[in-house]
Amino acid sequence: MRASPLLLIVLATTLSACEGSRTAASTGATGGTLVVAAIGEASDLLPPLVADINGAAIQSMVFDRLADIGQNLGTVGDAGFTPRLASSWTWAADSLSIAFHIDPKARWHDGQPVTASDVRFSVRAYLDPKVGSPTAPNLGNIDSVGVRDSLTAVVYFKKHTPEEFYDIAYQLFVMPEHVYGKVPFDQLRTSDVSRKLVGSGPFRFVRWDPKVRIELVADTANYHGRPKLDRVILTPIADANAGAALMLSGQADFMLSFPIDQVAKLDSSRVARAVAAPSFSYGFFGFNRFAPKSNSAPHPIFNDLRVRRALAMAINRTAMAGNVFGKFAQVSHGPFPMTLGVADSTLRMPPYDTAAAKAMLDSSGWKAGADGIRAKNGKPLRFSLMYPSTSLPRKQYAVLLQEALRRVGAQVDLDQVDAQTFQARALDSHDYDALLNAFNADPSVTGSKQSWGTSAIGPGGQNSLRYSNVKVDALLDTAAGSFDPAKAKASAAKAYQQIIDDVPAVFLYDLPLVDAVNRRLTLGPLRADGWFANIADWSIPPDKRIDRDRIGLGPAKP
Amino acid sequence: MRRQIVARLLQSLIVVVIVTTISFFVIRAAPGDPFAYDSPMVTPAVRAHWRSQFGYDRPLIEQYGRYVVSVAHGQLGYSFEMHEPVSAALAVALPRTLLLTGLALTLAFLGGMAIGAAQAARRGSWFDRVSSFVLLVFYSLPDFWGALMILLLFAYWIPILPAGNIVDQVTHDYMSGPQAAWDRARHLVLPVMSLALLTMASIARYQRAAMLEILPADYIRTARAKGVSERRILWHHALRTALTPLVTLAGLFIPALLGGALFVEKVFSWPGMGLIAANAIAGRDYDLVTATVIVGSLLVVIGNLFADLAQMALDPRTRE
Repeated sequence: MRASPLLLIVLATTLSACEGSRTAASTGATGGTLVVAAIGEASDLLPPLVADINGAAIQSMVFDRLADIGQNLGTVGDAGFTPRLASSWTWAADSLSIAFHIDPKARWHDGQPVTASDVRFSVRAYLDPKVGSPTAPNLGNIDSVGVRDSLTAVVYFKKHTPEEFYDIAYQLFVMPEHVYGKVPFDQLRTSDVSRKLVGSGPFRFVRWDPKVRIELVADTANYHGRPKLDRVILTPIADANAGAALMLSGQADFMLSFPIDQVAKLDSSRVARAVAAPSFSYGFFGFNRFAPKSNSAPHPIFNDLRVRRALAMAINRTAMAGNVFGKFAQVSHGPFPMTLGVADSTLRMPPYDTAAAKAMLDSSGWKAGADGIRAKNGKPLRFSLMYPSTSLPRKQYAVLLQEALRRVGAQVDLDQVDAQTFQARALDSHDYDALLNAFNADPSVTGSKQSWGTSAIGPGGQNSLRYSNVKVDALLDTAAGSFDPAKAKASAAKAYQQIIDDVPAVFLYDLPLVDAVNRRLTLGPLRADGWFANIADWSIPPDKRIDRDRIGLGPAKP
Repeated sequence: MRRQIVARLLQSLIVVVIVTTISFFVIRAAPGDPFAYDSPMVTPAVRAHWRSQFGYDRPLIEQYGRYVVSVAHGQLGYSFEMHEPVSAALAVALPRTLLLTGLALTLAFLGGMAIGAAQAARRGSWFDRVSSFVLLVFYSLPDFWGALMILLLFAYWIPILPAGNIVDQVTHDYMSGPQAAWDRARHLVLPVMSLALLTMASIARYQRAAMLEILPADYIRTARAKGVSERRILWHHALRTALTPLVTLAGLFIPALLGGALFVEKVFSWPGMGLIAANAIAGRDYDLVTATVIVGSLLVVIGNLFADLAQMALDPRTRE
C-alpha cells in the first residue's frame, strides 16, 4: 500500500501538534495573559543594546534598575526615587560617589543572588566600545564602579552633577555577570545568550521568536512580589492598521499609539477602549540649514531667517493639530514636550498671520509670479518635504503643510520615503530640503542638548537639522548643571525661546498618545517614559478572563 | 544523458552565482543598512561603530570577497532581523514554505488535472463554459490581490478561519494534541487555498488544451473502435498521454509558486521564506536577503532541472 504525499503531510502535521498539554488555569487575584500588539520588532533585547520601544519594554519587565524613578520623573538628585535592586544608598560627603546596597533578597531568574559585582559588570558592558551601547553617552559621567562587599557597589563619578544619581539609577539595567560575562563584548550582539534573557525583574523571559512573538511569564518568586498578570506576549505587527484590527477583534489586549484616525471605532467598541497616555514625543517641520548633501554650502532658501519665519507664520498649527489628532490634539509649545519637567507653556511662538508671512517673503525678495509661486533671482520658492511613510500623523501633516504653504506662494514637493531611507537621509547624508521629524525626549534636560545642542551635530548626536547657537548651548549647559529645579527651568526656557526665535523648525505638536486597551484589562498609572513602567500592577479580574487568560504559568511545549 | 545532466548542473551553478552577485550589490545600493532603523536612541556615531564592527564600512568589492569566502566555508552570515545565524533562520523558514508550496502544488495539480480533463470531455457544455470563465478569472488575478480577497472573505466578512500566522501565536503551545492539530490545519487553509487556486487555474487550462489535442488522435479512435468505454478512454488512455507535458510543467511551476508564496506569505503573515525575504529587504538585512536569493534561485534551477529530466525520461526524443 502506498500513502499519498498529502496524507503523509497531514499525518506529520497532526503528529507534530500532538505534543502539548494544557497547563493549570490561574484563578484569584492574579492571572491572565496580556497580548500586546507591538508595531515593528525589537532590534535587540539585551539592555546595553536596546534601541527601540519594544526592546525597552522587554528590558524593563525582565531586568531591574538600581532604583525606580518617581511618577513625576524628577531627575535632580535622588528625590522621588524608590528602592529597586538597591534597598538603600549612601552619598559620599563630596557627592562624587554613591554606595548602593543591593537588596539581599534579590535573585536572578536562574536562582543566583544578585551581587555588587553584577553592577560593576553591567557598567563595564554599557561603556565598553566593543559593545557600542546607544546608552553609553548617558553614562559618560561614571568614572568607575568599586565592589566594597558582595552587596555594596560604589559608583564613582567624574564630576558632581544634578543628574548623576539619575544617570546610574535610571539609565542602567543590571545584568548577571555569571551569564553574560562569559561572552566577549564584541560578540554580545550575535551571541545566543543575548536572545535568552536572565534578569531579576517582575517577569521571566520565556522565548523570542523574531517576527512572531516575545513571551514573558510572571516571576512568582520575585523579591518585590509577583506581578498580577501571569504572562505577557508581545506580538509584532507590520503597521498600525494591523494592530487596530487585532485590538478591535479582541485578539490583542493593548496597543501603544492606536491609529488616531480610527479612535472613533474604539469609542463604539465593546471590546476595547481608548486611553490617553502621556508621551515624550513632539513633532516638527524642520529646515535644512545647508544645501542638501552639503556640510558647508548654505541652503538657497532656508539660510534666510526671514523666509523661515514667514513660512512659520503661514502655518495654522492649532487647526492642523485639530485636523490630524481631533479631540486629542496638543499643539506644541516649543522644542520640548509638555511632559518634560522643564517645559514652559508661556513661550512666544510665531503667530499665524498669512498677510504678515506674505509681506515678509516680499521684503526678502521672494516675489509672487503669475502662477502664484514666488521666485527670487529666477529661482522658484520650491522645496521638497521629506517624511517617513511609517508615520500616519506626519503623512497627514505633509499634505496640510503643502496646501498651507502654497497659499503664501511656496511650492512643496512631497517626498515620502521608507523609515530606513528617512533615517539615512536625515542623519547621514543630509539629503533633504525640509523634513517632518519627531523627537522622543529624555526625561532629563540634557536630552535637549542631544537634540538641539551644537555638540549633537554630526556622528555624536541627533541634531539632524544641524542647528547651532552658542547662546542656546550655554543656556542648556546652565540648565543641566543647576541643582535648583526652578533655576534649571528658567535657563531651559530661555534656551527654548532662543531656538523658537531662530526658527530652525516649526514646532507642530506634542504627540498625543492614544493607547487601545481591552476592556477586561485594568491598568496601572501610565508614564511618559514607557507604557510598561507600572505593568506589574496591571490585572485582569477573574470574572473577565477568557481562554488565553487560563494558560497559566506552566511551560510551553518545546 | 549523464553529460546533459552535468552540463545542466554547471549552467545552474553559474545562474546561481550570477543571481547572488546581482542581489548582493543591488540590496547594498538601496539607502540604509541593517543599522539605519528609525530610532532616536541611536546616535550616528553608534551606528557608524556597528557598521564598522560588521564590516559594512568596507569597500563593496571587499565585502563581496569576504562574503564569497564565507559562503564557500558554508557560513551564510548573521541575520539582524531574525537575530540568529542566517542558516538557522532558513532552516526554520524553508520547511514552512515547502509545506505551503508543496500542499498548494499538490492540490493545484490534482484539481487542475481533474477540472481540465472534465472540461475536455464535455467540450462546449455549460460546465466547460462556466468553469473556463471562472478559471480565467483566477488566472488573471494578481497573486497578492487574490490572496487579499480570500483573506477578507474568510477571515473578516465571514470570519470562519484565522487571518494569518502558522498557528495561534498565543495559545497554540498550550493546547492539547488534537486542539493543536486542528489549530495548525485551520491556519493552513487560507494560504494554501490562495496559492492553489491561482495555480490551479493555469494547470487546468494546460490540461484542457493537452486533452483536446489528444482526444482526436488515431490511437484514441482505435480504442473507441475496439469498444473501450469512454470513461476508460478518457482517464486511462488520453489522460496518461496528456500528463507528459504537465509533469514537465510541475518543475516550471516552482519559480511561479515561490513568487506567489512571497505575496501569500506576506498577506497571511506566514513566517516562511517569502515573508522573511520581504522583511529582510525592508530591514536591509544584507546577509539574509542574499541567502534567500541563493536558496530561491537554487530551488528554481532544481525545478528546471527536474523538468528537463522528467521530459527526458518521458520523451525519448529529447534525450538526443
